[in-house]
Amino acid sequence: MYIAYSGYDDVGIVPKDAEQFIWFYQVPFKTNISLLSAEIDTYFSKFQMIYNKVGTDKTFIVFSLENLFPLRLINNDFSVEQSIEKFNNEIIDFAEKNSNVKVVDFKDFLNKYSFDELVNWKFYFISQMQLNPKLAGDFQKWFKRKEAEIQLKRKKCIVLDLDNTMWGGILGEDGIDGIKIGGEYPGKAFLHWQEDLLELSKSGVILTVCSKNNEKDVLEVWEKNPFMILKKDSFSAYRINWNDKATNLQELAKELNIGLDSFVFIDDNPTERELIKQVLPMVSVPDFPQKPYELPKFFKQLVSEYFCVYKITEEDKNKTAQYKANAERVAEQAKFVNFEDYLKSLNIEIDILKADNFNKERIAQMTQKTNQFNLTTKRYTDADVQQKMDSGWHIYCISVRDKFGDNGITGTIFFTPKDQNDTVEIDSLLLSCRILGKGIEMALIHSLMNILKGNGVKSVTASYIPTVKNSQVADFYDKAGFEFLSEEHGAKTYSIDLNKSIEVKDYYQINYK
Amino acid sequence: MENIEQKILEVMKKVFEMDNIDKTCSQENCEKWDSLHHLTLITELEDAFDVEFEPEEIAEAKTFAKVEEFIKAKNNL
Repeated sequence: MYIAYSGYDDVGIVPKDAEQFIWFYQVPFKTNISLLSAEIDTYFSKFQMIYNKVGTDKTFIVFSLENLFPLRLINNDFSVEQSIEKFNNEIIDFAEKNSNVKVVDFKDFLNKYSFDELVNWKFYFISQMQLNPKLAGDFQKWFKRKEAEIQLKRKKCIVLDLDNTMWGGILGEDGIDGIKIGGEYPGKAFLHWQEDLLELSKSGVILTVCSKNNEKDVLEVWEKNPFMILKKDSFSAYRINWNDKATNLQELAKELNIGLDSFVFIDDNPTERELIKQVLPMVSVPDFPQKPYELPKFFKQLVSEYFCVYKITEEDKNKTAQYKANAERVAEQAKFVNFEDYLKSLNIEIDILKADNFNKERIAQMTQKTNQFNLTTKRYTDADVQQKMDSGWHIYCISVRDKFGDNGITGTIFFTPKDQNDTVEIDSLLLSCRILGKGIEMALIHSLMNILKGNGVKSVTASYIPTVKNSQVADFYDKAGFEFLSEEHGAKTYSIDLNKSIEVKDYYQINYK
Repeated sequence: MENIEQKILEVMKKVFEMDNIDKTCSQENCEKWDSLHHLTLITELEDAFDVEFEPEEIAEAKTFAKVEEFIKAKNNL
């Protein structure tokens, strides 16, 4: 990455070619309180000035303003604190209105250290650097995680053991009213943990269970134990049997159509954890706390390492229901002998929507997170999407529903502007895995070809760029009737002439919005 | 002391992310050795040798030879 930084308060020049901008002002080390608070009061307008030069098409990360070395001679004078609070509130409001501005809470880093650790005055006087350079490594690691949160990257699924993980005791030995959940400690601690997990699931993380138990017993607990917060419906899928957990996890990944590298495996038994680490090294396996009272701390660690994101979208909130509806669709599929009959019975509706201010964040999020059905795997921020919309690209997203439920916005396609030969190129095409297996990809591409034809486009070029994860779409354009042009290092290019007629199966109802 | 020299070179290689660093290295002839990397180098050397550099020394320690001289002096070698 190209990094340009302007230090020592020089805000005269804004490097326009930077990929992103970071505002990292901290409270200067000055003892004159009134001067200091007056200086802080100028920061917000200074920030706005820079923002106006940078514009809306690049990500602009703003650190919250913090005082690394607060010093107060008069105890009832809070003017510096008030100025800091004012700036932080202004910047949070500003970020709400300007979606390319992302606020990073610097306290989240600082809270881990004491004043003595944070500031090393020797280095400060040599370099003007306020943060102790000995913390540079820790800071870098922390900031990288923050950047990932801003790009909305996180683990998708948590796999939970039951005995001594979701409740105290062993179901097979203690019985459905003997296990410890609710009531006195340790039941209280497990109850709190289940409440934490419920919130996690509301934020879009998928909960699943993998436990060595009799399925019948567990179903009975879920139904009858009044303290159980997480029940059958809370989980998108489960494997309760005596098979080895690695096999079970692979099955869960297949059933939910999620890569194993998006899984976090939670189990109190170190042998099971070791098995997963050995057999499925792409799965994240944190150590489980020794004592139930350590669960809240453990949950906080899980959140910050795997699940925290900058913001959540509407789709995230409905994930559990969507993945469950998918599992029901799989069951329905089994009843039909003829696949087309099955598709017809689903009453599939596909909305094709133009990118706008309401869906651009979801579109950017999909480009960041989709790995398998992704033809070119180009990653974009919402600011990138905005920039492309402004420069004449045709960007669409699709929203898919059927009789089992609404999958929400689950795919996107980017066309470059029409060139002098009336040709456009498909820059990106991706679909969320949970809508695959229903022919939607073909219905989508063919419908869009017809839209483009209506807009005077004569031909479309496209490419497939291989990654370690997207081999399932290597021959997508061949199947879609595109003409193969060339191949270099596995990357293939195609084109299609829009003069020929393109048919879309009539059992998809397609709505253009 | 062959050992100290090697250890300093190792720290420098790590900080500057370069493999080919020798005893002639200085801020003058090493592109990566800018003011930010200088600070990182000093903090890494302080940790590696369990010593503290004074501000005046940090300002001077801008060649391999100077760094070596300070560290040996601090270890009474």
